[in-house]
Amino acid sequence: MGNKLNPVGGGGWLPAGLASNQEADHMSRFKMPPQIFRLVLLTIGIVVSYLIARQLLTPASFRDFGFYRGAALEEVASRTPVYAGKKACDECHSEVLLKLAKGDHKTVSCETCHGVSQEHAGNPDITPVKLTGSHCIRCHEANPSRPAWFHQITVKNHYTGQKCTECHVPHQPNEVP
Amino acid sequence: MSLEITNAIVEAIPRFEGYVYPNESGTHPLWGFLIVLYPYITGLVAGAFIMASLVRVFRVKPLEPVYRLSLLTALAFLLCATLPLLFHLGHPERSFQIMITPHLTSPMAIFGFVYAWYLMAVLFLELWFDYREDFVEWSKTESGFRGILYRAFTLGVTDVSDKALALDHKLSWIISIVGIPSAFLLHGYVGFIFGSIKANPWWGNAIMPIIFILSAMVSGIALCVFNYMVLTWVRRRTLDLRCLDVMGMFLFYALVIDATVEALDWIHRAYSAEEGFHVMEYMAKERLFYTLSIGQVLVGTLIPLLLLGILQVLRKRIPDAVRKRMYFGSAVFILIGVLAMRWNVVMGGQFFSKSLRGVMSYKLEFAGVEGWFMGLILLSLPFIILTVLIKLFLAERLPTSGHVPHRMEGI
Amino acid sequence: MKFEFSRRRMLGAVSGALAGLLSAPAARAAKATVQKVFASSGAPNGYDPYKHKWLMCFDVDKCIGCGLCVDACKTENHVPQASHYFRTWIERYIIKKPKPGSDRTRGEVLVDSPNGGRDGFPPTVVPREEILKSFFVPKLCNLCEASPCTQVCPVGATFDTPDGAVLVDPNYCIGCGFCIQACPYGCRFLNPETKTAEKCNLCYHRITRGLKPACVEICPTEARIFGDLKNPVVDDPIQAFIQKNKVFSLKPHLGTEPRVMYANLDKEVR
Repeated sequence: MGNKLNPVGGGGWLPAGLASNQEADHMSRFKMPPQIFRLVLLTIGIVVSYLIARQLLTPASFRDFGFYRGAALEEVASRTPVYAGKKACDECHSEVLLKLAKGDHKTVSCETCHGVSQEHAGNPDITPVKLTGSHCIRCHEANPSRPAWFHQITVKNHYTGQKCTECHVPHQPNEVP
Repeated sequence: MSLEITNAIVEAIPRFEGYVYPNESGTHPLWGFLIVLYPYITGLVAGAFIMASLVRVFRVKPLEPVYRLSLLTALAFLLCATLPLLFHLGHPERSFQIMITPHLTSPMAIFGFVYAWYLMAVLFLELWFDYREDFVEWSKTESGFRGILYRAFTLGVTDVSDKALALDHKLSWIISIVGIPSAFLLHGYVGFIFGSIKANPWWGNAIMPIIFILSAMVSGIALCVFNYMVLTWVRRRTLDLRCLDVMGMFLFYALVIDATVEALDWIHRAYSAEEGFHVMEYMAKERLFYTLSIGQVLVGTLIPLLLLGILQVLRKRIPDAVRKRMYFGSAVFILIGVLAMRWNVVMGGQFFSKSLRGVMSYKLEFAGVEGWFMGLILLSLPFIILTVLIKLFLAERLPTSGHVPHRMEGI
Repeated sequence: MKFEFSRRRMLGAVSGALAGLLSAPAARAAKATVQKVFASSGAPNGYDPYKHKWLMCFDVDKCIGCGLCVDACKTENHVPQASHYFRTWIERYIIKKPKPGSDRTRGEVLVDSPNGGRDGFPPTVVPREEILKSFFVPKLCNLCEASPCTQVCPVGATFDTPDGAVLVDPNYCIGCGFCIQACPYGCRFLNPETKTAEKCNLCYHRITRGLKPACVEICPTEARIFGDLKNPVVDDPIQAFIQKNKVFSLKPHLGTEPRVMYANLDKEVR
């Protein structure tokens, strides 16, 4: 197209896929307008650089499991647990756990009362946090929102001045000391 | 001082009423002023482009003086559209991932592509084809930095024969036609980002994209009126009143449709009164009173409707000076009103708990990334860019080619 | 003609390269299917996410509102201390009696969650005789079947794992907050230190090691039931729970299909 000599060398453009020689002969007379040629080049440049960037920047484990970084599963899983878990306690304190399993506190985990014990589980010389009576109250103080089946006391009416453990055994709440 | 008073008043109001989920009870909204600006700026882009396509596609001759100005306005604002999004991210340095691994079920992931398409395939192309002849001309006459710039913009194509220009014209027209749905897509899609959140009854609404598009058109045309009037005033030129009247007419029509559809949305919400309507109603009345009732409804809709309505009926009888002021006033009011509308959508959606049992109120601070100051900077940035663009591409001393549709009479 | 030919070849080469670039991720995915088992040093060895399907459920009647689970969660997962960052929290519902002579089934509904319930619940100001009923509801990620949060993540930084957890990839999250807006249950927050989204991940580092999630471990009344739906053992707690109870999920009308289910749930809970 254009009567002048094409300054950008956009002539002789052939759409890819026109295979036939006759067609090619015919089409060789078709000159792509220079402005279109430039834009096509520019578009190809942008698309190719996008695809290259995509290839380089996509994390290696992407799409391993789904549309996400597969390595993330391992990364999230590789954090160290803070609470040791009842099983760890069972390794040394199985007799306490056996007693516990017979009473109403059977559903209570060791670390519910004794606190985080991962360090103690790793090294028995480190003693877990000392317990206080406020721990019992946290669950057993009467509260109208608590379910009726749950043992509750009104602290100010319930043997004030005495420690919980004077009458109750935490590991065997159904027994009297 | 006034800021302190406002802060004191806001702090005096309890931050919560009723119950809100603990994770919702922070001191700042998750999406702050930046996200209010994002749909505002994108809307202005879409609206300004539609304004330009009135000339190109619908051949509205009187609007020719603002054709190039509208396109440049759209470009200046589009260049800033990503900034509020980028700044509000927790990790802006990872933003490229949206383009590299776009999660196609996410409306936000498509943003990169919609944006790139609109910027490069629509705005740049239309501007290039429109300016190509001028670039060739200016690259010959201008020297120095400008000369280099114009030469670069020709992309090395210097063919300005009638045949080549005819092709430019045709392509530019095609791009305009493609551009209209693209502009709708760009902004309808912004509406969809909010409309697709079914967890939020204030946002999750099928009509949201449509409301966004309509208000975008209104705000875009208002911005063109504003820019045109300011530019002629700065350049001490005479306004083309015919052009202004026609812009005002389109502004009026767009505003009527926008107001109707938004009213319809409210009627629908109130009538169906779905779960959570009561908390939203309370929020709208208490927490959004100033921005909704005053900002959006009164300043942004009723007053401009009245002004523009009067202008439609009594155009001939109003003196030119008053007419200009009325147009300018309506444009400014609409620009404020649409900003208030964006605020109401974005902040309103975060002013009530998703437990539908309580409302919150947040204090918008002056400093900080999500503060007023940052917002003002981001809002003035497109105007600075526009000034540069106008100096480069609408310079008075540069002659423009005479072909329709960009005779720049009056500027 | 020769020039033409070379250009055509060039175009062919370019299109070939494009095709190669486009198909590369697929090839990578195929390769990856071979090695699905955890292998890195820090992670639990030999854990296969395809062999488990974890789930947590709640028995509202068993929750006593001690809030120890909330505390355990914060400790275990290093959740920011402030009172608006929780991966799990407890809500207290107090439903008042209707006014005498009124035709209502119930009166005012009061909901609160002071510090997420982490310090337990102070006695209510509502006198006991005015309360129709009252209960605690533990909340956490609902592990939706059709998660709106993973749907809206623009980069795939939050996702449903094959074993039933919904994770956030803290090294890939861009911190846009879209997932937080999309979660109907308020389960997510933006961590102020990492600037990424965060939520309950069922203590993924624990369950992959055969431990229970911290909140389940610490709960004194077994109000939180946790188990593996793919567990061949007959008495898996979760399977037994679902069999034994009439269960309900939160906000079912949103179509998110929460997998987390509640026994003995009241209609006021949402």
